[in-house]
Amino acid sequence: MALLQDLMDAYQGKIVKPSDALLHKTTTLLQDGMNARAFGEFEKPKALGDARWTDELILSTWYMAETGEVPDNLNFKTGESDGGFDRLDFQFLQEGDWLEHSEAIDTKLPLNRRGDGKNEIEIDIPWYGGGMSYGSVSVNVMMSRARNAKHWNTLMSTGEGGYPPELYEVKESVITQVATGYFGVEEETIQAAPIIEFKYAQGAKPGLGGHLLAAKAGEEVAKLRGSVPFVSLFSPFPFHSTYSVEDHSKHLDWIETVNPKALLSVKVSTPHDVDMVAVGSYYAGAHIIHLDGGYGGTGAAPEIAKKNIAMPIELAIPKVHKFLQKEGVRDKVTLIASGGVRTADDIAKAIALGADGCVLGTTDLVGMGCTRCSNCEGGPSGRGCPWGLTTTDIELQEWVQQDWGARRLDNLYAALQWRLRDILRKLGLSNVRELRGRTDLLSYIPKEAGE
Amino acid sequence: MLESAAHVGLQASDGPLSLDKFGTESARIGREVADGYHRYHIDTEEVDDVNPLPHRFLVTVGKVGLAKLISKEALTYFRPWDPHFDVILSRPCTYGVFSGPLGGFIPRPKLCVGCLRCEVQHPEFVKVLPNPDLAKMGDSYTTHGHIAAIDEEAKKGMVPVRGQGYRGRFGGPGFDGMLTDMSEIVRPSRDGIHGRELIGTAVDIGSKPMHLSFDSDGKLSGSTPEMFTIQVPFIFDLPPGNLDSTRLAEVVESTSRGIDTLACLDAHTVARNRLDAPNVVPVLDNAEASRASEFPRARLIELRSTPGRPWGWDAGGFDLAREVSDAIIGIRIHFEEGWQERMIKAVESGAKVIHLLADLHGRGSDGTFVTELFKEAHMLLLEQGRRDTVTLLGGGGIVGADHVPKAIISGLDAVALDLPVLFALQGRSNGSLRQRAKVDGTLPRELDQEWAEQRLTNLCGSWRDQLLEILGAMGIREVRRLRGEFGRSMVVRHLEDEAFEGIAGYVGGGC
Repeated sequence: MALLQDLMDAYQGKIVKPSDALLHKTTTLLQDGMNARAFGEFEKPKALGDARWTDELILSTWYMAETGEVPDNLNFKTGESDGGFDRLDFQFLQEGDWLEHSEAIDTKLPLNRRGDGKNEIEIDIPWYGGGMSYGSVSVNVMMSRARNAKHWNTLMSTGEGGYPPELYEVKESVITQVATGYFGVEEETIQAAPIIEFKYAQGAKPGLGGHLLAAKAGEEVAKLRGSVPFVSLFSPFPFHSTYSVEDHSKHLDWIETVNPKALLSVKVSTPHDVDMVAVGSYYAGAHIIHLDGGYGGTGAAPEIAKKNIAMPIELAIPKVHKFLQKEGVRDKVTLIASGGVRTADDIAKAIALGADGCVLGTTDLVGMGCTRCSNCEGGPSGRGCPWGLTTTDIELQEWVQQDWGARRLDNLYAALQWRLRDILRKLGLSNVRELRGRTDLLSYIPKEAGE
Repeated sequence: MLESAAHVGLQASDGPLSLDKFGTESARIGREVADGYHRYHIDTEEVDDVNPLPHRFLVTVGKVGLAKLISKEALTYFRPWDPHFDVILSRPCTYGVFSGPLGGFIPRPKLCVGCLRCEVQHPEFVKVLPNPDLAKMGDSYTTHGHIAAIDEEAKKGMVPVRGQGYRGRFGGPGFDGMLTDMSEIVRPSRDGIHGRELIGTAVDIGSKPMHLSFDSDGKLSGSTPEMFTIQVPFIFDLPPGNLDSTRLAEVVESTSRGIDTLACLDAHTVARNRLDAPNVVPVLDNAEASRASEFPRARLIELRSTPGRPWGWDAGGFDLAREVSDAIIGIRIHFEEGWQERMIKAVESGAKVIHLLADLHGRGSDGTFVTELFKEAHMLLLEQGRRDTVTLLGGGGIVGADHVPKAIISGLDAVALDLPVLFALQGRSNGSLRQRAKVDGTLPRELDQEWAEQRLTNLCGSWRDQLLEILGAMGIREVRRLRGEFGRSMVVRHLEDEAFEGIAGYVGGGC
């Protein structure tokens, strides 16, 4: 009878934690499959990719995550969105004037420019990992990213979903996010972090708050968020204690009291007055202004919000950069850009437009297998990502094992850094900080007649 | 009785109202008023498909390859004492594509969401392809993406929510070149899923006087408001092309009544089917203006130019219609050469509602897109100090939920829906969808009234909720305040000019 029951359960696809044999089989098939695709052993899947993340961009990211190198037969630089980063290029020097490709090309980025005695944090690469909450992704994904961040002496944000205990082992690389629902915001999690990130808004859904669908708010997720399992969880918009820059300043003061050494990051989206918001945040005490553009990723957002509200990051960076310069505070604050930053080329372009560095989110997920099928919020199955990324489903989350995930991200970051150095040397720059605001090193690819 | 009680009309049921009863009684009445308050809401309910769209994806599985895999896995994993059914029968799909009675041998592509896990996991014998039948739907403006979104909205009545970010092109032509603004912290209101305060979507149809006049007794004299209110800033327009039918007229009439909006219907259809009602807008040719008297219940009647007559403003028809009907008489004006003059003449003659029409790609006859045309109409009236005396309705090119707020920002009071009705009802089209008169559409053969009403109601509920999201993000409390608020929008072309100015090769102007 037990055998028959096992057979029926398997036939009906009963959801349980996978056995070792199933885990081995599935992860092997998935990893082998990604490897084969990355190396072009099969034709590109016809249904893969979109204008922002083309099939080649996804497969090249897989290649980089497999090898730590950039591919020579796939476009790993741009998408086909017909604007923004995809229409910008670099004005490289003549080949004879290029610098040697070497580790001496400096990619470090200091994050505290206020000289106020708080944490002097310098990351080795000019990007860090964006917030993805526990609940929107699994602990395995969080830990893969956090361990990789530690390895690269950079950072990763918790997102707003609490602080799984596993994160304490890499706490020096983990930013604690404080968002409008205050999920997981506790004295301990504030004190553990080198940087506290206030999330005012998210580029993919500016002005709309957050929403974790009930199906993904399982027992562990609910426990960390201080909630009831399988109940939808909203992060309202905006902070209901913040209706002015003065209120915002009080927020930052509160964190300073709890963790006097922490740097303060303010994450905002990109409305027309984003320049004013940035300056206001600086005067309120922010060390980092983090702009999240309208083409950014999300675990769930109304489709109408993704493109139509607020501006793409490419258009917001120069606006804020120039305004901070005009106000005379540009060198006292770190400007970080996210929301549609996909590649090393995008990172370099964002910096040339005026950012100091970038935040990556979707790129990390693509590196671990994401095909951008848009079912992160649960999809028709209600279980979340079939690749095991944006899910806490007891079976699916096992498809991403921490060692494997961290290794892929390590490789990916190595390739990104290599390409960033490649760009810098071809521009004759020995330091990524020299690239900031150098729009003279960019060119715009004009549209052909009839395009 | 207490004087204060008399002022508010309180009457205790058991005799004069004493001071100690006053509080209780006023609280009771207050509660009754509160309980009786109906917050406007569109009741949506998921309905089944009767003519489903083609699947998004096609899934092919090589039978031999699958058989080989199963055999190999059975040999590898099966042990009588530990048969590993979970491994042997595991499927690379969480959506059930391979969970039919015969598993992967007969896949179920309608369940495929395109995650491609199966194709990555088993590249030797599984392929997922975009379905060309879906891609063929619509035309260059109303794409299969618009049609699929409308279909989903009409089916579920919900705001479409997905993971991952935006997947399309950067900016784009038409409505895609406009972004709406948001407010980072200063927020007077928030509705929708968090629902603390009301955001109003009601709009007024008709005319407001620019000022009020009072006589020596303090009573109103002079002009008074001549308008009525509908609850959503969209109405149903005349069905384009060959879609005008009694069946469809009955569906849009009853739906518009249910959600408190308007349905423009051909006057002959209205008369023939006795559909005269406050929510129905009979549309008459100018030459038939005298027939306006046949629709005593209509609050708005629209006049259109008579086919075959020279293009121009026909004051005679307008005056005649006003003479024989108490309804507000609106004028339909196509964006063709001389539309500005015609509009101004109509307004000068007393027209309170102007219904502007572009082609179904949102273009005027000179190729200008509706965002510019609506803005020009709005500004013309504004410059003349007449904007609040006229309601601007407009249509053409409105095929997505985001087009509604963008058209209103451009200057309209409310938008008119045409093609979305066809696709909400799972109709199909053949050929170009540009010219209204030439739309060749087919509605499902069995158009059940209840089903169709619910589909249209769902579409309206979804679009209204999406409008609330946009308004909520801006911190705007009512859609009336969005009209002509160009400052709450951003034009990608202008932003690019500001951001990329000085970059080699950038010439501006969207080039």
